[in-house]
Amino acid sequence: MTPMAYTQRTRELLRSPEIFTRGKKRGGILVENIIFIVLNLIFLSVLILFLFKQGSGAIVLEQSYAKQIALLIDSSKPVMEINLNMEKAKKLAEKNKIDFGEVVRIEKNLVIVKLSEKGGYSYSFFNDVEATAYASGEDYVFIINKK
Amino acid sequence: MIDKNFFSYSFFPKNKRGDKIISVYWFAILILVAGGISAMVFVFYNQPYDVREIEANILTNNIADCLSQGGYLRDEFFDGENFLLNETNFLEKCELNFEVEEIWEEEQYYVKVEIYQISDLNNPVFNFDYGNEKWVVNCVFQEEKEFEKLSECYERRFYCLDKSGNQHLIKILSVINKGDKNVK
Repeated sequence: MTPMAYTQRTRELLRSPEIFTRGKKRGGILVENIIFIVLNLIFLSVLILFLFKQGSGAIVLEQSYAKQIALLIDSSKPVMEINLNMEKAKKLAEKNKIDFGEVVRIEKNLVIVKLSEKGGYSYSFFNDVEATAYASGEDYVFIINKK
Repeated sequence: MIDKNFFSYSFFPKNKRGDKIISVYWFAILILVAGGISAMVFVFYNQPYDVREIEANILTNNIADCLSQGGYLRDEFFDGENFLLNETNFLEKCELNFEVEEIWEEEQYYVKVEIYQISDLNNPVFNFDYGNEKWVVNCVFQEEKEFEKLSECYERRFYCLDKSGNQHLIKILSVINKGDKNVK
């Protein structure tokens, strides 16, 4: 097919409502509505997926868990045991092939949360206690002792 | 060459009644909406969580717990005549550690404690401060939204008794900067 003939054919096809109705003119309304709904659904699904993905990204979770844990330690008193559910972190760590037991580290008075190979977020706490952390199922357990 | 009808209002076949039309304009609107939402989400998640207000609140509570117990000034800080809290023993006695991440070279906390006798609430009988004094000037501007990037201040006051039964008013001001990790 020559380019000219191709253009002509395209023109005819685009002008013809039959590309959607396949010759059945009375079915045009239904097909058009279905296309309209499907496209809108695809658009909404992509948008919702995008929103969820943004909210559960490693950078956002690392920061939120690090700050949450630092505040928990700040408001704790020796001797205490704190259980923190970190289901989302566990799922993300498994996805990024990171051992869940190494997601949270406490060094001196810094909480370090690492959920991706290159990432990691640290936040300091001012409560001068000896804090240790270990994973237990989907939770992390924090033991607060006197220094 | 694309047919000019492609960009026209009636690329998709028109319903004869004309009550529903899918056009290129509809997709343009969708793209605009998607772009707007993406931009908003990007801006929202790009902002760090500001936890300094909670942090300052907890710090103030910790200092209050350190100074008084059961409504009485602790004996180790007040021997009946003198207040024994000072810059050298404050962190140790109150079990605090003001070391921060390496990204900051200077102290990120400031704490001020003032103790008043109930008979004179204008002149403190005892006061001391600890930390980086330069953050405290920001407390004045804190109320205004445009200055939220400045350090966060939290003041609390409470009454307590000494062992002789004298009433005291204690004011504690905690200031936390940590700006780089809490605001952008």
